[in-house]
Amino acid sequence: MMTINVVLVMIIGFAGGVAVGSGFVAFLAVLGIIPRLTQLTKTMKMIHYYEAAVILGALAGAIATLWNPVLFFTPFLLIPLGLAAGIFVGMLAAALTEVLNVFPILAKRIGVDGKIAILLMAFVFGKVIGSLFQWIYFVNR
Amino acid sequence: MEKTVYIRLRHRLQVRPDEVIFLKDIAQVIADEEIYEPLCKLALYQVTVNDRNIVVIDVMKVIRAITNLFPNMEVQSIGPAQGIVEIVAKKRKVSFPLFLLVWLLLFIGAALAIMNFHEDVSMQAVQLRIYTIITGEVDSKPLIFQIPYSIGLGLGMIIFFNHVFKKRLNEEPSPLEVEMFNYQLDLDNYVALHENKESMKRIDDH
Repeated sequence: MMTINVVLVMIIGFAGGVAVGSGFVAFLAVLGIIPRLTQLTKTMKMIHYYEAAVILGALAGAIATLWNPVLFFTPFLLIPLGLAAGIFVGMLAAALTEVLNVFPILAKRIGVDGKIAILLMAFVFGKVIGSLFQWIYFVNR
Repeated sequence: MEKTVYIRLRHRLQVRPDEVIFLKDIAQVIADEEIYEPLCKLALYQVTVNDRNIVVIDVMKVIRAITNLFPNMEVQSIGPAQGIVEIVAKKRKVSFPLFLLVWLLLFIGAALAIMNFHEDVSMQAVQLRIYTIITGEVDSKPLIFQIPYSIGLGLGMIIFFNHVFKKRLNEEPSPLEVEMFNYQLDLDNYVALHENKESMKRIDDH
């Protein structure tokens, strides 16, 4: 009975991992962040290494959430870490905005075809200020 | 001997109201020299007030006009089957207060959306945990992580859109420009087929 339970739990855990992992990759693929980055840096040939980076990153995240390791590093390591996390989430948000397709319609409605970059900056500043406001003032109130 | 004239309709053409559209306006023409001039001056359409702001010129209409003028001419059409004529009354001024309003709307909306996103994905809890994993200490406000994160947020969007105000980071079109282009193309496609009475034939029974 015990063996069956263990095998059953292993199967459920493995199946859950497969489902979440493939879902995560599908989500990244839909957003098109990796193609966009390779296009900007002109590193199409290195795309397999980027795949490995995503997989290793997901594994590191899984280890960090499941095992609760404590590394006792200097807090200054958090600055590049935070910046990288922010850039990734920023690209995510930008990709979603693009999928929503609001900008082309908005720009046509108010007739500012030339000034779309300024509208874009409204979005960028809004995200940055909103995020700063939340962490510095809004939380723990 | 039969002569051939090659025409290629322009995709889009802007004209003033009450203007006459000539063949050379709506299409690129390749023809023998003796017929090139009269062909270019061939009037195809008189824009009137009733036309509102869009007229679609079908390639069949152009070919019919050319064969009326030169009955023995063979017309080869290359490229799009319709040309879209946009009638521009006068340059529309962007109203600055409206623009400011939309700017503020986007700004506040973006700020609210990112805060909602952070709450939705429990961003604070994850950040506190990362802080504890890296440093081994507990801090309820790890600003050393959160401020770079917030700056990175804006940086990531700029990298994705390849735009810092008017300055571009490199030569490639940004996804937004491609999106704008696709949207315009969709609109043009719709207009070309929908505003063009020749492209559809319906049963008239009402």
